[in-house]
Amino acid sequence: MKTRILLCCAALLSAAACSNSGRYERNDLELVTAYTAKDFCSCMFVMERDEGYCRAWTKANPQVARIEVDTQHKLVRTSALSLWSGAARWKNEREGCVNE
Amino acid sequence: MSARALLAAAAALLPSLTLAQACPEGALYPGSDWTDRTAEVRAARPEAVQALEAWAFTLTGKDEERLGLRTDGLVVVQDGQILYENYGRGFTKDKRHLLWSTTKSITGLLAGIAVKQGVLAVDDSLCKHRPDLSAACDITVRNLLEMASGFDWAEVYEDGEYQQSSVLAMLYGQGREAVVPFVAGHKRRAAPGTAFRYSTGDAHLLMGVVRAALKPEFGDEYPWTLLMDKLGVRSFTLERDAALDFHGGSFGYLTPRDMARVGTFMLHDGCWAGERILPEGWMASTRTVNPAFKGTPKEEDTAYGWQTWLNRAVPEIGLELPYPDAPGDTFFTAGHWGQYIIVVPSKRLVIARTGDDRKSVPNKVNDLIKHALPLAAGVAQ
Repeated sequence: MKTRILLCCAALLSAAACSNSGRYERNDLELVTAYTAKDFCSCMFVMERDEGYCRAWTKANPQVARIEVDTQHKLVRTSALSLWSGAARWKNEREGCVNE
Repeated sequence: MSARALLAAAAALLPSLTLAQACPEGALYPGSDWTDRTAEVRAARPEAVQALEAWAFTLTGKDEERLGLRTDGLVVVQDGQILYENYGRGFTKDKRHLLWSTTKSITGLLAGIAVKQGVLAVDDSLCKHRPDLSAACDITVRNLLEMASGFDWAEVYEDGEYQQSSVLAMLYGQGREAVVPFVAGHKRRAAPGTAFRYSTGDAHLLMGVVRAALKPEFGDEYPWTLLMDKLGVRSFTLERDAALDFHGGSFGYLTPRDMARVGTFMLHDGCWAGERILPEGWMASTRTVNPAFKGTPKEEDTAYGWQTWLNRAVPEIGLELPYPDAPGDTFFTAGHWGQYIIVVPSKRLVIARTGDDRKSVPNKVNDLIKHALPLAAGVAQ
């Protein structure tokens, strides 16, 4: 089921989301997975909001990021279409989160 | 020279020394906690409080539609006292909020502290402090304070084309490992100091230079030890990139109460409880329309000083007073989705507002100030 959803999403995505057509190197999905990982991590562990709120807070377009939260290690992993992924980890109270 | 003569000479020098370091007389600051006058203000001016509350906290449509004003926190303070305070959408007084570009103004304050400490000068070349930025030796600290580096920078956010955005590339793309060299590696569109362009990259670069100047003598905790700790701020988080440079243009976090402390510090000319923390004149420069802004065809609807927005008309470029309902001395920080620290010196008023406004709301800053001003008369001491 999950694979089918991902394939469906892939078909709906514009070519720009997966290709490098712009001024900078990373495509939309690379940016979205990194954004979602970092800002979801900050939302949960710096702003101290719950997972439901943070899903709404980081909702982006394209909406293909899968989000896994490891609350014990304060780590957030994201992935899109099994090709792109992101991760961010909370360091400490002063320094918040950083992409890995 | 006799001891008496030495004393007399010292006494003669004293007034000028005192003047050079003077802090505003009669300025009032919060102690370790704020004095809460919200109930008294609500009783004294119920209509004004209700009007502010209705404007700020009335939601539009369903949450997932992300429409209209979505206020997360609002604190209005005067003379170290809270006149109004409220939170929305699950936030509380103890929860930090992402500041986005309000972080830039804090970076500007830290630059001032570096100057006060004698480790940075506004006309220093960037590569005096960061020799690795050899392609940016013609750019000065002043150019960055004015948002006038001249880099060909695209200040585009999530509502634009991602791959054209210098901001997204810096924060989440190829620049995120090391933001400072990423920014400094951009092509130029103008000579330094000649053209204003609002740039999150310039603020990150400024923080990179400030860090290089302060860290050797004061350590890498300087945003806290040299600024936030002194103001009694306990909530400040400032995220770093993988190279350990701070995200000085974007990723600061504060509670609204602590934002109000920063605003109070700016209101009182960079002093806190009698201690001068910023150089004399730093806030005056911060609050003056910068020459690059005046000399560039109008790009923004609000005037700009040093890392701070100003409610000023700029006739040179046809900019009228941006917020007609706000006093002309108003200055403020502004972050994406509605993060503001607004200072109205003539009313001794500071407004801290956090939000999640994903859609443009016309006249937002003007109307926020307009609704908060009636509270500025405060309550009887």
